[in-house]
Amino acid sequence: MISVQNLHKTFALTKQQRKELNTEAKTATAVSDLSFSCQPGRIYSLLGPNGAGKTTTLRMLATLIAPTSGQITINGINALEHPQEARKHIGFLTGSTGLYARLTPLEIIDYFADLYQVAAKDKAERKAYLFDLLNMNDFLHKRIGKLSTGMKQKVSICRTMIHDPSVVIFDEPTSGLDVITAENIIKLIRSCKDQSKTVIFSSHIMSEVDLLCDDLAIIHKGQLKFNDTMSAFRTNMMTNNLTEEFIRIVQMPTPLA
Amino acid sequence: MIFRIFRKELLDTLRDRRTLMTMLVIPILVFPITLNVFMEISNSFQESASAKTMKIGIAGDKSQSYTQQLEAIPAAIGPKKIIAFKDSAALRTAIEADEIQLGLLVPSNAKELSKQQQTITLNWLLDASEVGRSERAELYAASLKANAEAERLQNLGLRPEQIRPLVVNTVNCASDKKMVGQLAGGILPYIFIAFGFIGCMYPAIDLFTGEKERGTIETLLTVPVLRWKILIGKMMVVVCSGMLAASCALMGLFISIEFLDLADNKELLEVIHSILTPYFILSMFALLLPLVIFFAGLMIPIAIYAKSFKEAQSIITPLNIIVVLPSMIGFFPGISLDFTTVFIPVINVVLATKALIAGTLTWPYFLCVFGIMCTLAAMAIAISHKQFGKERNLLL
Repeated sequence: MISVQNLHKTFALTKQQRKELNTEAKTATAVSDLSFSCQPGRIYSLLGPNGAGKTTTLRMLATLIAPTSGQITINGINALEHPQEARKHIGFLTGSTGLYARLTPLEIIDYFADLYQVAAKDKAERKAYLFDLLNMNDFLHKRIGKLSTGMKQKVSICRTMIHDPSVVIFDEPTSGLDVITAENIIKLIRSCKDQSKTVIFSSHIMSEVDLLCDDLAIIHKGQLKFNDTMSAFRTNMMTNNLTEEFIRIVQMPTPLA
Repeated sequence: MIFRIFRKELLDTLRDRRTLMTMLVIPILVFPITLNVFMEISNSFQESASAKTMKIGIAGDKSQSYTQQLEAIPAAIGPKKIIAFKDSAALRTAIEADEIQLGLLVPSNAKELSKQQQTITLNWLLDASEVGRSERAELYAASLKANAEAERLQNLGLRPEQIRPLVVNTVNCASDKKMVGQLAGGILPYIFIAFGFIGCMYPAIDLFTGEKERGTIETLLTVPVLRWKILIGKMMVVVCSGMLAASCALMGLFISIEFLDLADNKELLEVIHSILTPYFILSMFALLLPLVIFFAGLMIPIAIYAKSFKEAQSIITPLNIIVVLPSMIGFFPGISLDFTTVFIPVINVVLATKALIAGTLTWPYFLCVFGIMCTLAAMAIAISHKQFGKERNLLL
């Protein structure tokens, strides 16, 4: 389970960034006062246009960066106070995830299993299970640099799941992938749900969200514009289709505090 | 966990052709190849120069005395052909046209001057920009001078000792080892420092900036391993690469000396062998290891800060000059380790290594240099750790 309370993140702007953004402000707010929770066995989707603050939010959940203020709890662990402990429960996959091109899939999976301190017996079992599931056995000993995009994506999935995380974070996982490769990710997200894992994923594509999610949050300029179940979103729609409704919500003025 | 990270990063690094080239191949081959090529070219020039018949023009030698003396000089110096010229202008024109290589201008009154026991001035005309001509002229001149002196002494009825009342000799009390240490000792630390730096460069950029560029850093930082452990694991690979490159360069130099007859002097070879003892090698590595860690600690914060491989390379490459230039101080005689130079990084290691080769390094100086370099290395690691902890540096 993920619980987020009053999450806030500001970044200090460099001189160059201030010039580019044409601002005198010394900081920029990426995320402002976000609160939500993601339940096990449900898929929580973070939907928003580019630059909305989705990646920053997910990076904070994955303990990659620290929030300026607020609280994050992962499976009851305070992620800000005990990030190492929280990381053991998290699997993190992004659309832009790279792999070590000079290593083989087997070497990469072994490396990450060791970093997650997976016991030798569990490692062997997890590897056998995931290699069969993802049909990876034919290219385990080939260098990553020589693999197709689809094969690489399978390796990324395997790397994310090798320590059997109970919380899985996907940051625009299908970005840049063709439909067939993206299908692997869709299957993975569904399989995580079936295994009662807590799943959160970000996207800017409404159709993808519609296909997968149970709970939906719409984020724009770092602020939460909608946070409810997907069925509630559908029921309360004021436009003809999901995309139009998403645009309507994003363009809604933020109520004054 | 640090060792697991080290193992993976080392494997990754050893599979990178670019790093492998700068870490192993170039350092091992650079000396054997360049020295071999240099010696081959130099030998072939020398051979062709000594085999070439040197045409010597003589003007003003009415008595044919100097012509005969030149003819009498053994051909071992090199083959020659003597041609008579009528005056100095003709001699100069022939040299300018390269019809002759040396011109000897004998004063027209040479015979009279000899009779009067006056000094005869001979002039060699030559093109000094051409290799080997000045040397050959000096050899001929020395022979002519010796002949003239012997003749003059005989005419005066004197023995050489009678006009040479005092001979002062200089006796060198320094051991051969010390001489080699002082004269050639600068090259060893220079090679080690230059290649140690280059060896660190590509792995530092690849393991930090490269990881950011390839998008692998994000996933690495989500694993439950403390960041300082990740940093140390990576840093160990950078240091190993630097040490390996430096060691390979020294090995290359050693191969050149042993098998390519770089030092064909037997005594010199014996001195080199007596220097390269396990104690010397261990002491040298003890001095150089903290220096290479210091290099890694200088490069890593830059590599962490840089957003692209090119950016990192453009900052670190000029740093190379700043670091390698002071290491050339070892080539200058007269500069030695004292309580000022011992505190200057890089220079202290160069001078200590030089003293180590000469066998003059004392324990207090050794410990002082070692301690200072370890402190600097620790500071460099602390700076790297600080940079590695900054969110802005880690994520693009």
